[in-house]
Parts: sequence; C-alpha cells; structure tokens
Amino acid sequence: MTRAGDAPAIEITGLSKRFGSVTALDGIDLTVPAGTVLGLLGHNGAGKSTLVGVLATLLRPTRGTARVAGHDVVAHAAGVRRCIAVTGQRTTLDLTMSGRDNLIMVARLLGARPRPARARAEHLLELFDLVRAADRPARTYSGGMRRRLDLAVTLTRRPEVVFLDEPGTGLDPVSRLNMWDAVRELTATGTTVVLTTQHLEEADRLAGSIAVLAGGRVIASGSPRELKSRIGHRTVTVELATDDDAVEARRALHRAGLRPVLDRVERTVSAALARDPDLTAVVRALDAAAVEPSRLTLTEPGLDQVYLALTGHRHAETP
Amino acid sequence: MTALAPASGNRPLHTISFEGTAAWRGTPVRTQVRILTARSVRDLVLDRRLLAMSMVEPLLMLVAFGQVFSALARAPGFPPGVRYIDFLMPALLLTTALHSGVQAGMGIADDTRSGMLDRLRSLPIRPGSVLLARSVAGLARAVLRLAVLLAFASALFGYRPFAHPAGLLAAVALSLTVGWSLGWVFTALACWIERTEPLYAAAGLLMFPLTFASNAFVPIGQLPPWLRWTAGLNPVTHGINATRDLCLSGAVGTGALSAALTSLAIAAVTAPVAARGLNRPH
Repeated sequence: MTRAGDAPAIEITGLSKRFGSVTALDGIDLTVPAGTVLGLLGHNGAGKSTLVGVLATLLRPTRGTARVAGHDVVAHAAGVRRCIAVTGQRTTLDLTMSGRDNLIMVARLLGARPRPARARAEHLLELFDLVRAADRPARTYSGGMRRRLDLAVTLTRRPEVVFLDEPGTGLDPVSRLNMWDAVRELTATGTTVVLTTQHLEEADRLAGSIAVLAGGRVIASGSPRELKSRIGHRTVTVELATDDDAVEARRALHRAGLRPVLDRVERTVSAALARDPDLTAVVRALDAAAVEPSRLTLTEPGLDQVYLALTGHRHAETP
Repeated sequence: MTALAPASGNRPLHTISFEGTAAWRGTPVRTQVRILTARSVRDLVLDRRLLAMSMVEPLLMLVAFGQVFSALARAPGFPPGVRYIDFLMPALLLTTALHSGVQAGMGIADDTRSGMLDRLRSLPIRPGSVLLARSVAGLARAVLRLAVLLAFASALFGYRPFAHPAGLLAAVALSLTVGWSLGWVFTALACWIERTEPLYAAAGLLMFPLTFASNAFVPIGQLPPWLRWTAGLNPVTHGINATRDLCLSGAVGTGALSAALTSLAIAAVTAPVAARGLNRPH
C-alpha cells in the first residue's frame, strides 16, 4: 500500500488511448506525489475524462503504462479499484433508491456491517447537507444534490486516490465552496486527488500542481505559481486621489523604466511587472515624485492567461 | 483533520472523518450477491410502474388470448375434453417466464444508462455478482408474474390450477428455468453491445415470432403447413409441449427434461461471456 511520503500515488508513462481513428490521449507522462492535488485542465475533448477513465480502470490504454497506488491499471485492475474512488461527469447512483440507501449499499458492498454502514451514511449526509432529503428517492434530487450525493458515496471510505471528473459542474456557488473544502480536507488525510476541470479558478484554488491538456497531450505542467510566472505578469495598479496626481504617477513610473497605462476615468495607473524588485521601484518612484497613492494593488496573473497563451484558444467559460 | 476554511460559513460544522472505515476493503461474493439482489428486488417493489406492469400484463394476456381464441376449443383438431383456458395456461406460463427473462437480461442496460454500473465497476466487486444479482431479482419478478397469472386465471377465467398440482409445480419450475436461462443470452448481449436501444428492438423482433410461430395459442395441427414447419423448429414449441404435458396430464415427458437441460447448458455458456463483457475495459 502506498502511503503519503512513499512512492508516487500515480505514475503515467507514454500513455496513449485511441478510439478507432480518434486519438484521445497521445503520449502522456505524469507523476503525482501522494497526498497532493493534481488539476487536469483543458477544454472539452482535451482528453481529461479519458485519462481519468484509464486511471480508474474503466478504459484500457492503447499504449503505455499507468500505475495507481502502486498497482498497474491493466495487469492489476482489481488492486487499483480497492484503492480508488471515482466520481464522474455523470452521476453514478441508483436513482430509485433514497440517498441514504445509496450510501448504505455502497458501504455494505465495501464490507461494512449494517450498523456502521448506517452510521457512515448519516455522517456523509450531514457532511454534504443532505439530511433533509435523505429518505427521498435520488430521482427527485436536483442536479446539484445528485452531485453532492455522488461525491458523498465516493467518500464512503478513505480512498488512496480520488478522481473527481469535473466535480464543480452543476453545483451552486456555496456547494462549490463546500466541495473545495472537502477536497482540501481529503488531502489533509493523506489522500491524493486528481480533479479535472474547465474552471481555471478551481484548478488554481485547489491544485498543488496542474497539467494542461490539449489534443490528448500535456502541453504544460507545474504548480499554478510556476505556470503563471512562466507566462503571465503581475500587474501593479496605483489609484490616485486627483487627476494631477494620476498624470504625475504615470510619469514617475515611466521614469522607473515601466510602461504605465493611465486610466483617466478611474484615476488609476497600472503597469506590468516583469520581476519582483519592480514593485520596490514603483514605490520609490512614487515617493520621489511626492505622489501619495490612495490605493496600491498587485494582481496575480490568472490561469486564463496561461491557458490562452498555451493553447491559443480562449476558453468558453473564461469570463 | 483541518479546520473549516472561513469561506464556507454556510457549511454544517463537520469535517470528513474516515474513522472505522480502514478495514472496508471488500466483502465475500455471496454477500455481494445478497446486497445487490436486495437492491434489485427493492427497485422492483419501489418502482410502482414496474410493479403495476407486472400485474397488468398477465391480465391482458389472459383477456386477449383467453377470450379471443376460446372459440378454438370447438374447432376440429383441438385436444378433446380440454377447455381452452387449460390449453392456454401452460403456454402463458412459459412465454411469460421467457419475457421476464429477456427483461431481466436487459435490466443491466438500465444500470449502464444510469451510470450505476460505472459505480459498481469501480468497487471491489466481482462482475459475476452484479449479473447474478440481476438475474436472481429477475427470477423473483418472474415468480411474481406467474403467481399473478395463476391467480387471475383461477379467479376470473375458471382455470383449475390444482387438477394436477405436482404437474403444475413442475411446469412452473420448468418455465422459470427456461426463462432464466434465456435471460443470460440477453444479459450477454447487453454486456457486449454499447448501445442498448437496438438491443431492445431486436429482442422485441425476436420474441414475436418465437411466441406466435409456435403452438402457444393454436394446436400445431391447425397451423398452415409452412407455419407448422417453422413452429416445429421453434424451441418455444418444445418447451410448451413439455409444460402442457405436465399441466394437463401430470406426465413428465422426455421433452421437459431436454428443455431444462438445453436451457441450463445455454446459461452455462452465456453467463461467463456476459461476465467477461461486463468486466472488459472499453
């Protein structure tokens, strides 16, 4: 059994998957250390769900190997299944049964005795705010409730690796925040999480490392910070009290070697910072010009910039 | 356990705990089958529509065939001294069990559609357990339908079930065996064919001639020659001959034994094929 700190939770080497003439995955290499969150980022058809399908032993790779929790996904699929939990883009529930009975059944199938299975169901219902709907058939649940129940079923026991395929889909903002909390708590218990998402914010907020997929390949990987620093720039925005100050501030930043942009309506001056010391230069320049900013903000580059720069596509859901 | 992030003010004050779950790494096959069978049977009881269908269908069959064809009992070539309901019931027992088997076999397609199968496949469960449970639940449903059929026939259509009690029991058992075995053929198909809509269509198309190009409703001698020939080849005809012999005379013909053995052999071949199809990564 793999534990946090030992061997990597997932090792993927040269993995390809073809469906007939369509190449869904094209030579993926990835390693995910135990107890971390990997965000698979990509637009529709990039190969995210196929990759999760292969790692969850639901799809057979055409070429290459993948090991999950130390087990080969082809040669030892049963071993992989003992260690993982999956929640896919489609919910995987018995819609005729109540939410509670879904939870109890899966706990029982995992080997729980009836009483602990019921207690487990109760805990998960409370955790995912489903207590009031617990005894209704899952068929009557809203889309968001089904997603929550699906995630709850996935967490019946502590899996070594959890695959969340677009877990935020269909959740309202509060539920999404709760789901993010649940993911963070999971990693704190030593579980490795792989989540696919089209939401850049989601990957940024949750993932310790991100792999950007396009056309079945990993086109970039690293921590969110690394990806952003490689491509994006931080932006400093100086807000001034008067029009004169704004003009003066623009001159000061220009003298400091930056390329400031003046917004006369908002009375702000903003400039991209290539390196960290530039921020000090900004403060010194403003001080030297005797301009007192009413506010000074530093904006991190968004992953949408990263995504755009790497794929050349603007993502459909990017605001 | 980490503390709650401040962003989640609306969240109930709980954090995930996995206390006591560490040992949950699977359960023996017989427990798997028991739990999954209970689930399918409960689905049958909870799904009122399905339950109502199970009740209404036998009644419809009785009204449709019992009433429409009852004049046949006075036609030449009909076994003398046999009322039409007594002639019809053994055939209805078998065809109803067959339909139940086909439906049970394709029930696995419902699990594919709802995504439940993906869940079950991601759990440490033998694929055979999933299929066996479905099939046992299907058998339970077939028993229910046969019981309803017999009850309606006796209460409303003057059928006398206990003329040959042992024969009737044997006929019911044979019908269930044949239907259950044929169910495995459709289970195997449903496990290997991705799209299930054509499968439903194919099953309907197949069941129609199997049921009607037989001696189910009319003695084989009264059929036109070409149909007589077709019905002679139809395995359903042989099955009905066996159940009819059992019900009408209480006699166990060699037909009954060969029908049962052939069916079980088919099940023995197709069940592993079904399990392989279910387990195969796509």
